[in-house]
Amino acid sequence: MAQSKSSAATKKKASGSADGGSKAKPELPSKKESGELLETMMVIRRFEEEAGRQYQKAKAGGFLHLAIGEEATIVGTTSVMHEDDYLIGTYRTHGHAIARGTDPKRVMAELFGRVDGTSGGRGGSMHIFDLERRFMGGYGIVGGTLPLAAGLGLASDYRGEDTVTVCMFGDGATNTGNFGETMNLAALWKLPVVFLVENNLYGMGTSLERHSAVTNLSEKASCMGIPGERIDGMDVLAVRECVAEHVRLAREQREPTLVEAFTYRYRGHSAADPEIYREKQEVEEWQRKDPIESFAGRLVSDGAIDEEEIAAMRERAEQIVLEAVAFADASPEPDLDSLYDHLYVVGEQVPGWYAVDERSPDPHPGEEERRAGERAQELAERGAAYAGPGASRRREAGGDHPDPDARPEDVA
Amino acid sequence: MATLRMREALRDAMAEEMRGDESVFLMGEDVGVFQGAFKVSEGLLDEFGERRVRDTPISENTIVGMGVGAAMAGLRPIVEIMTVNFSLLAMDMIVNHAAAIPYMFGGQVRVPLVIRMPGGGGHQLGPTHSHSFEALFLQIPGLLVACPSTPADGKGLLKAAIRDDNPVIFIEHETLYGSRGEVPDGGDHYLDFGEAAIRREGGDVTIVGLLRMAETAQQAAQTLANEHGVEAEVIDPRTLRPLDLDTILESVAKTNHAVIVEEGWPHGGVGANLAALIQEQAFDALDAPVQRVTGADVPMPYSKRLEQAAMPHSEHIVSAALASLEGSV
Amino acid sequence: MDVVMPRLSDSMEEGTVLKWLKSVGDEVAVGDELVEIETDKANMVYEAPDPGTLVEIVAEEGATLAIGEVIARVGDAGEVPSSNGDGAGAASEDGGAAPGAAEGGGATPPAATTDGASPGRVKASPIARRIARDRGIDLAALAGSGPGGRVIKSDVERAVAAADAGGGTGGGPAVVSATPGPPPAAAPAAASAAPTPGASEKPETAKGTAEVVELSKLQQTVSRRMAESKATAPHFYLQAEIDMTSCVDGRERLKASAKAAPGRVSGPKVREAGGMPEEAAPVVPTYNDMVVKACALALREFPRANGAYRDGRIELYSRVNVGVAVAAQDALVVPTLFDADLKGLRQISAETRALAARVRSGEITPPELSGGTFTVSNLGMYGVSNFHAVINTPQAGILAVGELKQKPAVVDDEVVPRHLMGVTLACDHRILYGADGAQFLARVRALLEEPLGLAL
Repeated sequence: MAQSKSSAATKKKASGSADGGSKAKPELPSKKESGELLETMMVIRRFEEEAGRQYQKAKAGGFLHLAIGEEATIVGTTSVMHEDDYLIGTYRTHGHAIARGTDPKRVMAELFGRVDGTSGGRGGSMHIFDLERRFMGGYGIVGGTLPLAAGLGLASDYRGEDTVTVCMFGDGATNTGNFGETMNLAALWKLPVVFLVENNLYGMGTSLERHSAVTNLSEKASCMGIPGERIDGMDVLAVRECVAEHVRLAREQREPTLVEAFTYRYRGHSAADPEIYREKQEVEEWQRKDPIESFAGRLVSDGAIDEEEIAAMRERAEQIVLEAVAFADASPEPDLDSLYDHLYVVGEQVPGWYAVDERSPDPHPGEEERRAGERAQELAERGAAYAGPGASRRREAGGDHPDPDARPEDVA
Repeated sequence: MATLRMREALRDAMAEEMRGDESVFLMGEDVGVFQGAFKVSEGLLDEFGERRVRDTPISENTIVGMGVGAAMAGLRPIVEIMTVNFSLLAMDMIVNHAAAIPYMFGGQVRVPLVIRMPGGGGHQLGPTHSHSFEALFLQIPGLLVACPSTPADGKGLLKAAIRDDNPVIFIEHETLYGSRGEVPDGGDHYLDFGEAAIRREGGDVTIVGLLRMAETAQQAAQTLANEHGVEAEVIDPRTLRPLDLDTILESVAKTNHAVIVEEGWPHGGVGANLAALIQEQAFDALDAPVQRVTGADVPMPYSKRLEQAAMPHSEHIVSAALASLEGSV
Repeated sequence: MDVVMPRLSDSMEEGTVLKWLKSVGDEVAVGDELVEIETDKANMVYEAPDPGTLVEIVAEEGATLAIGEVIARVGDAGEVPSSNGDGAGAASEDGGAAPGAAEGGGATPPAATTDGASPGRVKASPIARRIARDRGIDLAALAGSGPGGRVIKSDVERAVAAADAGGGTGGGPAVVSATPGPPPAAAPAAASAAPTPGASEKPETAKGTAEVVELSKLQQTVSRRMAESKATAPHFYLQAEIDMTSCVDGRERLKASAKAAPGRVSGPKVREAGGMPEEAAPVVPTYNDMVVKACALALREFPRANGAYRDGRIELYSRVNVGVAVAAQDALVVPTLFDADLKGLRQISAETRALAARVRSGEITPPELSGGTFTVSNLGMYGVSNFHAVINTPQAGILAVGELKQKPAVVDDEVVPRHLMGVTLACDHRILYGADGAQFLARVRALLEEPLGLAL
């Protein structure tokens, strides 16, 4: 009880300062651009709601972390990035991929663990990835992306390219060792990276003031040479304006910075979160500043878009998400013989090594031929709990695989 | 053929690959101005400059992570970790990221990264600088693991590792840095991963030894021949992932006896793994249980006397081989 | 056929090839002069042990090799020299274990059938099982020579060879059972061949069924040498009863003082490093160790007892090396305590234990079995009060030690309990005569009855 009360109090303080930090209202972008911002947020919202439903229907497995409420931070950020800029994020990144242009069908298929998923069913909800759109991944390790982002920035720097890496992570990640290590290195080497904290006030169930001695996260890297700025992460235009400036600093001045966006997830940490650490009332308070409703309201009041158009957008978002579910449902399960696919790169560019499936003494047969998979299939069909027996089948020269042609008595 | 020290052979491998491929660069703690804690990168800063030979802060996880990120973006980083013990600070990046990324993202991206690190005992560096973690890395699918024991292998495998599109853990041995050996001339000396070397042929017992233990195993084989009339076949696997199990199994099929020697710890070690593979796949070839010779099951002590006692020596290998052959000769 | 570095003197451990007297390709007959070898004592000409063509010279002139190492190969003309270990393995079997083989006493016949510890399941190595299955050999009928009686590849191969030869020429400890029961799953060679004097078909006789046990190489050596010894060395025996009371008292005190120190737990199966600098655990010498020490001191004083009769001459040795007979490997082997007169009791005790352990584990090496100048054999632990041992020729004598037991004795005209031990010294009368032997034995006895001398 006491904890809930104190975290609610923190929320007020924190959100208050976020409001206080916002400047004059940003200009509306063009009607087309505004519509895209709104519609993308709507698609993400509907996608996340539907993902939650499909999870409850056991179509999606594992953990499911929904970003409902955080759409403005996501879309505001991606809307100012170049196509060849890198984005890298957390385990709550269905929306980030969609905002970068990944087809929601493929994201949903990944949640379903199907072959048409972004990672062919190997990654799941926490590990969405789309190289083509330079969405460099969702990751299940808190803080693990910071060094990777610095590495992406290093590659741009090394090649003399003007691409920028935006690294989005949660408030909890600022407590990892990587945060200190990476901020120091990024500042030391002047890497073109924008670090963006999606501060949703909780690291899982631990509230900000219970997990971080410095609650102004934008200042948390200043001693490492990384200046920071706080913004209202519920206001897509504020995010957009602020991030655009930081991306420019990174691109043009090689100045890495830290942006702290105040935002809020309406749902629990994951689908399995009973939310005992916060008051219902706190959630409702944040919902009143809902990023989609407030932006839609401004567009209507400014006369940029009318209610009819908004309804059409909602309808399109609904269709997109339903199609995504249908697509995911229709997508096949991965073949068992693909179990070893993509574990190693095997090809001409590699000077001659071959992988060995140590369950057999034979060289791993490569991309085309997967006898290991045959065995896995066989076992799976027999109801084996897993497809990894310590079997020595190949040495036994066909003992396990009688040649059907060599059984003439069956022919008669 | 030129006679080179291991450290020189490794440096040449890096220098040659860096000359040939602009995307190859080296980073690590004190690899530049200091020229490497073990002087493996001697001269590289002078030749390639600070852009390609980068001194880093002491931030192992981030250094390796940056290597992963840069590799995902298409570069071919070589990251030097000062000793294998420090690699534990980077295990998150090695296991959760480098090894997993190509697979968990469905093959969309590659991680052509080489992580070099020296290990092994014998220099009185105590329990934080002297261990052998081949087994830790061997366990991780997605990684390649090399453990060369000669300068020629060091060069050939490192050049191959740099060209490989997979993350490679390249384990060097501190004691071997100064060892000399013949190294083929020219820049095209590449060794395939997954090919063991038969260091000595023999028909009585198979001895598998890696890194420095490949050399110690050969000494033991000499003693076995001279004093016991036992002809041992000594195999240096050279890479543990992929593992040239065929060569080992063929040898065991011939000798019916196997001894595995490593500097690392006994539980869950390279020897434990190989013993399991041999009994799974060559059970009917065995005439005696597979013997293991390992480092002692303790953190490496400082005292020279204790440290030597904690490391396998030729005598241990001889007695393991004779125990395996009990009744046979 | 391998020609191995021969043992050309009793103290020889290695030899140097001086000159090959035949060239590769030459025909050699048994007895042909083959090679000149320098031993620690002399340059000797070694004659070809097997007939055939000299197909390979393995040890070049000037090379120094241990006894038992291959120096050349003799075979059929055109045979390809092979460098694999088959030959070497066999060679060390020939040259290795034999030198220390000595008189019988502790040897037990090989177990005839299954390991008693696990009835119904024969202990056999995987490859032994596979060969047995392929060749229709009944594993239960084989005696294993591996650890704990495990049937290993070489056992089965001997049985296969025996079966292939109709059962006549199998070497080694293969036991082919003729006990009625389920016949071997497949013994085609034996079944279809004409009756042979093979081991596999023994008719029932008045003695019941007969089990034929082939001798191992070691057992063959033991039997040959023991027969030679008894046949050629004129044995005579000197018996004495030694009052060991002072030794018993002394040992009790040592035991009490050692009790405080903790013992070592035996090492793990995995050969982890760590056992190398073995710390001296507190060792309490056994009575046998005391006997060895007493003999060693007495041998120093009686050179004839520390000598050998060889080819019509007497050799007197400068080192006192006492062999201690150990029953193991279904035979008797005699590891050597070198310079036993110079070593303290503790060291003798520790070394003896280590040697015995190495004998039992099969790790003992030929050098550790050679070079003895006298032998002590002890059967006291079996309750034997006294016995006559066979001399390990060419040594001059062997001391047989019986049980140590409290018995009534007369001391200062009173009957008192004393710890008495019966011993018998067997002497080769060609070197050690009655009076010499008696004086030597008296000295051993004096040293044991006043054991302070042993500690010096």
